[in-house]
Amino acid sequence: MPSQPDLVTFTVDGKEAQVPAGTLLIEAVKAAGVHIPHFCYHPRMKPVGMCRMCLVQVEGPRGMMLGTSCTMPVTEGMVVHTDTDTVAKAQEGVLEFLLLNHPLDCPVCDRGGECPLQDQTMAAGPGESRFVEEKRHYPKPIPISDLVLLDRERCILCARCTRFSDEISGDPLIEFKDRGNATQVNTFPDEPFASYFSGNTVQICPVGALTATPYRFRARPWDLEAVESTCPHCSVGCRISVQASRNEALRFLGVDNGPVNQGWLCDKGRFGFEFLNSGDRLDTPLVRDEDGDLVEASWAEALDRAAAGLSAAAAEGPGRLAGLGGARSTNEEAYAFGRFVRETLGSNHLDAQLGDGLDPRVLAGITPRAAIDDLERARTVLVWAPDLKEELPVLYLRVRRAATELGANLVVVHPRATGLDPVATHTLRYRPGAGTEMLRRLADGSGDLAAVRAALDEGPVVAIIGRPGLGDDPRLAEAVMAFAAGLPDAAVLPVTRRSNVYGAADMGLAPTLLPGRVANDAPGRDAAGILEGLASGDLGGLVLLGSDPATDYVEPQQAAAALDAAGFTVAIDLFLTPSAAKADVVLPALGFAETEGTVTNLEGRVQKVNRLLPGPGSARPAHEILEDLARRMGGSIGAASAEALAAEIAGTAPAYAGITWEALSWGAGREGIVAPGPEGSQPLAVAPEDHAPPPAARDLVLHQARVLYDRGTLTQAGPSLAKLAKEPAAYVHPEDATRFGIKAGAAVRLTGSGGSAELPVVLDPSLVAGTVYVPLHLGAALGAGLEISMEAVT
Amino acid sequence: MGLFSPIAGFGVTLKQMFRKRVTAQYPKEKRVKPQRFHGRHVLNRYPDGMEKCIGCELCAGICPARCIYVRGKENPKDAPVSPGERYGFVYEINMLRCIFCAMCVEACPTEAITMTHLFEMSVTTRDDAIYTRSELLMSPEGDVPHPQPPSKLIDLDELKVADGWMRATAPAGRAAYEGVRGWTPTAGAGHRPPERGQSGDDGADGEEDA
Repeated sequence: MPSQPDLVTFTVDGKEAQVPAGTLLIEAVKAAGVHIPHFCYHPRMKPVGMCRMCLVQVEGPRGMMLGTSCTMPVTEGMVVHTDTDTVAKAQEGVLEFLLLNHPLDCPVCDRGGECPLQDQTMAAGPGESRFVEEKRHYPKPIPISDLVLLDRERCILCARCTRFSDEISGDPLIEFKDRGNATQVNTFPDEPFASYFSGNTVQICPVGALTATPYRFRARPWDLEAVESTCPHCSVGCRISVQASRNEALRFLGVDNGPVNQGWLCDKGRFGFEFLNSGDRLDTPLVRDEDGDLVEASWAEALDRAAAGLSAAAAEGPGRLAGLGGARSTNEEAYAFGRFVRETLGSNHLDAQLGDGLDPRVLAGITPRAAIDDLERARTVLVWAPDLKEELPVLYLRVRRAATELGANLVVVHPRATGLDPVATHTLRYRPGAGTEMLRRLADGSGDLAAVRAALDEGPVVAIIGRPGLGDDPRLAEAVMAFAAGLPDAAVLPVTRRSNVYGAADMGLAPTLLPGRVANDAPGRDAAGILEGLASGDLGGLVLLGSDPATDYVEPQQAAAALDAAGFTVAIDLFLTPSAAKADVVLPALGFAETEGTVTNLEGRVQKVNRLLPGPGSARPAHEILEDLARRMGGSIGAASAEALAAEIAGTAPAYAGITWEALSWGAGREGIVAPGPEGSQPLAVAPEDHAPPPAARDLVLHQARVLYDRGTLTQAGPSLAKLAKEPAAYVHPEDATRFGIKAGAAVRLTGSGGSAELPVVLDPSLVAGTVYVPLHLGAALGAGLEISMEAVT
Repeated sequence: MGLFSPIAGFGVTLKQMFRKRVTAQYPKEKRVKPQRFHGRHVLNRYPDGMEKCIGCELCAGICPARCIYVRGKENPKDAPVSPGERYGFVYEINMLRCIFCAMCVEACPTEAITMTHLFEMSVTTRDDAIYTRSELLMSPEGDVPHPQPPSKLIDLDELKVADGWMRATAPAGRAAYEGVRGWTPTAGAGHRPPERGQSGDDGADGEEDA
């Protein structure tokens, strides 16, 4: 821990205040309770002093001096004036200048009503302009990406967007060009602003120069109702503001939660609200009729059918039923699902993951566990995980900040180039299946890896560990964790992607866990075992809660066959997914922003999700559906309300004691509360083991990993993100291409363990020779196996 | 106070009997309304036929009765509905809730919504009282649709008389601009002379501008 910096005393408008030395004047004055208007200054970015709006007067040896408070650090004894006539006149002049070329088309501007320029002109601006000449004109607006529109007439050249893209997201695709009066922000020719974080520039733009296509002209700020919540798209759990008008979600904005997202969102999170309004949402229960078609039914009819079918399967003997899902639900729903499967269905076959994650005991109880904010203090960051930019984008921003702004060593180990490579100190590449050997060499630190090993010995170390691709054995990740845990002052952050998979594990939605991070002594089947049991007839029925194994299981075709063979299936979901379409009864559930509850992110931080929308048709909260089913089957799971479940969780799960809705809704609790780690009163404390999965000695191996915009249900249900999914391709090392005699762009047929596909070839020298990379969920399903055969298609 | 007090009261009545009557026999005769009378709304067009409404929702935002619902939409590139990027795609006023305060008229940055002198809008169902775009928007020729047919009560010509507060002062709010037209003239109900007499000098009504 760095020592506390010294305090300096200064005077602002006659009041004395104390702040740490080196604080910028604008922040110091804010701490003293005085507001200074500003446009270009942003607390999460470096100051530039572009807009000149934050002028204040500082007393100096040569009298009062006007200066920009965003570029001036506080010094001992400084005397600052913010309310003098000179300051007011200067700010008025700055605003008159900023408005010279501003079109004042506020009534048609999406920013109108929540625009800093509008507000500050009203508060501190001149009533009238002396500028009577024609304003500057540009074609407006021009699309600079699929999601962002640029109106250069409105731009006040504050450089917030260019600084964000350069400093924070590391995609400097937007920049100033030309000089003088013609200075404008623009993209480079033929290069769209295709950043995963482009939406943040829209949010921080102090005028309406950058606007978002999905929100364009949908509402005005005074139409919107807002509620603070937690993003439902990945396990980082960014704090967001859900904003809706007339019961339709219209936008998500990032809320600055210091320990997690620091105000930023990825575009998938920001524009991923559209699935809520999708016309494909299930709004009425469906049951299978005599002809085998799913037809609409009343709730009573559907629940009766579901209860009868499940009861019949349960009557065949214990453990004949299974439950899959819960990783996209709230903790309360997950807990209710666990109780339903264990108590009402009498089964321990329960899994929230679909063979693509990590051991749930590791997710719930690993020691020593890192928090995201540990990255602020880390000297070394080890990332042996999925490409964070593609799977957990805001965690990527935090790691990037640690590696650039905070100067930590960054070691990235991955089968191919990742988004973090440009800022990494060391990048290591390996073939999937050869991870154990890579780990052994890294632990040895001999030869060319000596420098990497030396970097890793510099603590504190934060190790972000997960499965880089589908082909990597989960036990390899555990071996890496065991290695990382031994590094100096190390903490481990196990990462998987699905949004509330950590909460689901904490709620006992795993064959080996009971609610509250307690080991289950009589473990049931995991996802693979459940699907196998359904196919073989060992299991008589299945309940799916927001889970789509026919798409998301590592071997989708195998899962689809298992669901076809399953005796009786009930699906509780938002959409009629390929899996739900195979079910006997489909029950429509309310989704994100339609139910209240808590979620747990990858560091174990419990945050609140809140309700704003009524949801489609007669869809109901999942816990109510489960309670009704339980009652029809002659029991109860005590799910009177989500709040009652929350109280039960706080009583049952030691780690969740004291984490009440009340505590999460007010004050510091809004940042979320990290459920105390294993050093607390938690029964399960897992020290990672050093497994050695068998090495792969194959000619050609397959690396499959997720990309941000894929053909997932939630991504495809919104028009803005659906079109961003790329066509699938096979990424081949140039040496292999030469060996197989194929050229870039040519088609190859790949055959894997679970299917084959014909894909165009892209040459990717960042792979290790002998590896083929295929992005997951873009339409090519090859199965999870490492083995792959490739042949040129003529 | 005294003995004659009860009778003195009748003196008031007696005095009224010789005054000019102010009651108008409304259905038979209609009075000329003051220039700033607030009747039903109309959505105006520019002389070239473009709609003035840009769907900015300022009217809906200011409305104290919350009776206006507006939604904007991007103008089609090949056939724009209004000048600029955006037009009023949905426009509804619930006349049952409207209190005819004309704050929507005041808030409108393009003079798209104005009020007329027609106030006869009786309906038999609540739904009919919600005026949509088709009832509010004038035709390119300047005719305003009205749900009720013309009759002894309903003089549709009153829809062409706009309330006249608007040009009392210039956009800049300075008295020096009094009587100077600050906006482009409109078709139909937009024909209003700039108002004069705010400064109390002559009281003439600016007829040269009609």
